[in-house]
Order: sequence, then structure tokens, then C-alpha cells
Amino acid sequence: MDVLELARTQFAVTGSLHFLFVVLTLGLAPLVAIMNTRWALSRKPVHEAMTRFWGQVYVVNYALGIVTGLVMEFQFGLSWSGLSDYAGDVFGAPLAMETLVAFFLESTFLGLWIFGWGRLPRWLHLACIWLVTLTAYASAFYIMLANSFLQNPVGTVERGGRLDLVDFGALLGNKALIFSFPHVIGAGLFTGAMVLVGASAYQLRRRTEHVEFFTRSLRTGVVAAAVGIVLTMGFGYAQFGGVQEGKFDGNVGAALPLGLMIEIGQLLALVVLLVMLPMIAVLPRLRWTHPLLIMMTPLPFVLAIMGWLAREVGRQPWMIWEKLTVADAMSPGLTSGMITGSLVGFAGVLGLLAVVDYVLIAKIIRRGPRDVALGAAVPADEPRSPALSY
Amino acid sequence: MELIWFVLFAILLAGYFALEGFDLGVGLLLPVLGRTREGRDRMVAAIAPYVLANEVWLVAVAGTLFGVYPLLEGEVLFTLYPLVVAMLLCWVLRDAGLWFRRRLDGARWRGFWDAMIAFGSLGLSFGWGMAIYAAATGFESPAVHPLGMLLGAVVTMVFAFHGWTFLAWRAPGTFGASRSVAALAVSALVAALPALGVLVGAMPYLLEHSAPPATLNVLSVMALPCAPIMLGAQIWVWRTFRPGKDAFRLPSFF
Repeated sequence: MDVLELARTQFAVTGSLHFLFVVLTLGLAPLVAIMNTRWALSRKPVHEAMTRFWGQVYVVNYALGIVTGLVMEFQFGLSWSGLSDYAGDVFGAPLAMETLVAFFLESTFLGLWIFGWGRLPRWLHLACIWLVTLTAYASAFYIMLANSFLQNPVGTVERGGRLDLVDFGALLGNKALIFSFPHVIGAGLFTGAMVLVGASAYQLRRRTEHVEFFTRSLRTGVVAAAVGIVLTMGFGYAQFGGVQEGKFDGNVGAALPLGLMIEIGQLLALVVLLVMLPMIAVLPRLRWTHPLLIMMTPLPFVLAIMGWLAREVGRQPWMIWEKLTVADAMSPGLTSGMITGSLVGFAGVLGLLAVVDYVLIAKIIRRGPRDVALGAAVPADEPRSPALSY
Repeated sequence: MELIWFVLFAILLAGYFALEGFDLGVGLLLPVLGRTREGRDRMVAAIAPYVLANEVWLVAVAGTLFGVYPLLEGEVLFTLYPLVVAMLLCWVLRDAGLWFRRRLDGARWRGFWDAMIAFGSLGLSFGWGMAIYAAATGFESPAVHPLGMLLGAVVTMVFAFHGWTFLAWRAPGTFGASRSVAALAVSALVAALPALGVLVGAMPYLLEHSAPPATLNVLSVMALPCAPIMLGAQIWVWRTFRPGKDAFRLPSFF
């Protein structure tokens, strides 16, 4: 592979890894926030247990979202400095907003939510997870804003070989953005919901002692999956009005994942809306359905990656549609040795960590809602203030 | 407008050194002060509530670099390519160590991730010294330079001292010493000095290479109103987890 291919591979590998974790974060955040709200309102132990258990899945998944995201952010400067040279005055602004405001607040509030358990007043603690959800959505919005600019570079003029921002409103109203952002949000919700469904089906299949817990979780998952898939499909089809002309013509690398995403997505929608939703009352008891529900869990992740492949491979050879090619966006002077070293490092470390993270999530799900670390109370024999006991 | 964004950028970078400096410092001290598993648990529990709110300052620095100094962003990161990759990997391993160390029982599991925290903190601290030396020479010197290595050792020592001061403030007596909040502020200032030094030197250059007014205006309209919220959120973290009757407790999530 030449340098360009290696740099593209590095971005594709790290970007795909990043989104596998982000898509679940986007979906679980509102679901955990809803569970936390019900707990705050009802103060029932089952709602507390649901908040802590699904919250634990959410934060363990979140860890990989952070570390892969760090690599994503710095990769622009490392291997794609041609992009900031040419369009940094435009493309940099939404990325700055995402990192400076949205993720900054998201990370701060998440820390407060995780470590403020039992320490913050109930309603303030609840506010934290809703603020995390809100800022996660804001993050997704700015990233989609930046990506949509690459797809359809509106609101700019070229002056002296660089792009100048002339109309930020046009970036906000970009036809490549207005339907793709809710499409991503819907896909996230669908993914998170299907994880609830699959994990609950696994526990119910194993004749869990926490029947009420996983029955509720499964039903919450089915309802959220129905909402998610409707949003995803609706805004997915709506996007075609905003796709660049000829984007998928003769581009097998983009047309194939697009076709697969649409076909499998439609099939899943039929199953969710016409089978799972009507059977929601009996589904927790119908044990023969549970292996099928478990097998469906990975599909939303696969579809999410297909969607990105279609969107990004479809843009080739352009980094910025009909303005800057990917080849021209690559850092000048990038050598095969540099990119090979970083590709091996990033793919190796992040890939291993991703596997470890999924194993940990699987273990959390298998162990069930007993002894969840998130929100664990201080044991009575543990000195509450070790500082004073020494 | 350029000046406002320079000040903001300077606050973010210096703030990162002052805040994340003690997280990295405690990470560095894990093998030194945390001889027992319980000792390491207490050390990590002391920084745990702050880490997410601290490391994000560098994420914001990089984003601001991209938004406000787009031409510099590519140049700086690309010039230091191997160093940036190594520092990113160290950061990733440090974070993974924090998130993973308590997820499974077993001494070897936790010991391994504690070693990753220490290794990552060391690589990141040392790397910052090298990066700052390179920046101070206008990226003329090679990334690996004896003076850069020396600065790397200095930054590592400063962060370790800052981390030690933080432990002595948050858990007085637990690791030998007790320090007041004033002492913590002084060690934070010392930790921020390398960043402040480079920022002062680079100020004219940065002001000259700011993004055009149209971009800065958009950023100002959208980001500056959020600044009080961001500051408020940070203060909330420090108020919530201040030392006192509930200073740090086990089990902690990290």
C-alpha cells in the first residue's frame, strides 16, 4: 500500500472503532437518563438497579469512546494537515465547538455523575446525566456539521487558495446535515435499545433471578428500538434529497454498504415494528424468541459502520466535495514509515482495548445487576474518611 | 478578538498543565508511594473524580488550536509526528488503566493496569517536556534532543511534585504529609510554568496566525457564552469533591 492508502486505512480503522462505541453511547445516554429519572421520581429499588446496571454498561463503553476519540481529534493534524491548510478557517470552527464546549461539558458532567453518586443531591445528580445526554447530542451535532461541510461545502468562498467562511448559517442549514444528524441520533437510540433487548433476552433465557428487572429492561428496549428505527429510516430516506449528484454511481465500495444497510435495516424495522412491538407483553416469557433477539444485537453496529462507509467512500476521491482531494489533503512529507508506525500503534492498541472493553461489557451483562461498581455505597466497615483514621 | 482567543487558548493550555499535571503526577507516584494494592486504590480514588474534568482541557486545547490557529495545527502536530503518536498512545493507556483497573477482580489484573497508568503518565509527562522544548525552538530542533530530554525530566519531576502536593491536600496525612490549598495552588502554578513560558514566547506569532475575523466571530458568538457554564461546571467539580468528611472513598469507580 502507498502512503495515501495507509493514511486512509488508519483513519478508517480508528474512525470505525470510534463510532462503534459512540453509537452505543448516543443510544444508552438518553435511556440511562430516563431510568435515572424514573428512579428519582419513584425511588423504587428496581429503578435504582436499572440505572446502575445499564449505567455501568454505558460508562464502560464510554471509556473506549474517549480514547478512540482522542486519536481521531489529533489525526487531522498528524496525517491530514492539507485539510486545515485549505479549509481550517471553516472546518476548524465546528471541531473547536465540539471539543471546546460540547465534549468539555460532557466529560465534566459525566465525572460528576459517576463520582457524585450518593454525594450530590438527588435532583442535581439526575441533572448531570441529562446534561451528559444533551452535550453528547451537541457533540454529535458539531461533528455531523463538520462532516456535512466536507460532503457539501456551503457557506464558503475560495480566496487565495484557501476557503473563507462567509455564511455560517448556510453550514447550519446544510442539506447534507439536517437529515443526517437525526439519522445518526435515531441509529444510536436503536443500537442502545437493541443492546437492552439482547442483554435482557440473554438473562431471561438463563432463567435469571432478576425477572422483573430484565422484563422491564426488555420492554424499554423494544419501545426505544421502535422509536429509534422509525427515526433512522425516516431521516435516512429523507437524506437522499441532499446527497451529491452521482455520489453512488459506479462506486461499488459505497453502493454495496449502502444497499446492505438499507436492506437489512428495512428487515429489522419490519421485525421490530410488526413482530417485537405487538408481542411486547409476552416477549419476556417466550424463551424460544430469546436466542433470536440475542443474535440481532450486533446488527445495528454493523449497519452503522455500513452507513459511514457509504457516506465516506462515496465521497472519494474528494476530501471536500469537488474542492479538495483526499490526496491533496494528506500532510505533505508524510512518509510510509511514519504512517506505518502510527497505524500499527493505533490499530494495535485501540483494537486490543476494544476487545478488552467488549469482554468487560459481556461480563457485566452476564453477572447481572448484583455488585455493580457504579454507584456502590461505601461499606459500613470502610472508614468514610481514611484521612482521619490514620 | 485575536487577543481574547489567545488569552483563552493560554488559559486552556496552562490550565491543562495545572490540573492534569497532578493526575499525571499521582500516576507517576503509583509505583513509588503505592506499594500496596490498597495504597494504590487510595491514590487513584483521590484523583478519580477530577480526571474526566481535567484531561478534557487538552481536548479543548487541540480543538481551539484547530479552530483559532488552523495553519499552526497541522504544522505543529505534523512536525512532532512520532512524539505526538507516542504521547497519544501513552494517554490512551493511562485512561484505559483508570477505566479498567477495577472492572475485574484479581491482583494481577489491577497490577497490570496500575502499571499502565504509571507508564502512560510517565510517557505523557516526559513527552510534554520534549514537545515544549521543540516549541520553544520554533520546531527547529529535532524532537529528540538532549535539552528536550532534560526538560522532559524536569516536567516529570514537577508533575510528580504537584501530584504529591495534591495527595497531601486531598488526603492529609495518608501519604505522609498535609498541605493547604495555598500550597496546592503554588504547585499548580509551578506545573503550569513550562506552558506559560512557551505561550509568552509564542504570543506574537500566535496573534499573527489567528484565523480570519469571520471565523473568530462565529467561534466567539457560539463559544464565549458557554464559558461561564464551563467555568461553573469546573467549580462544581471542585466544590463537590473537596476534602473534608467525605474526602475520598472506597470503593471508587476508578
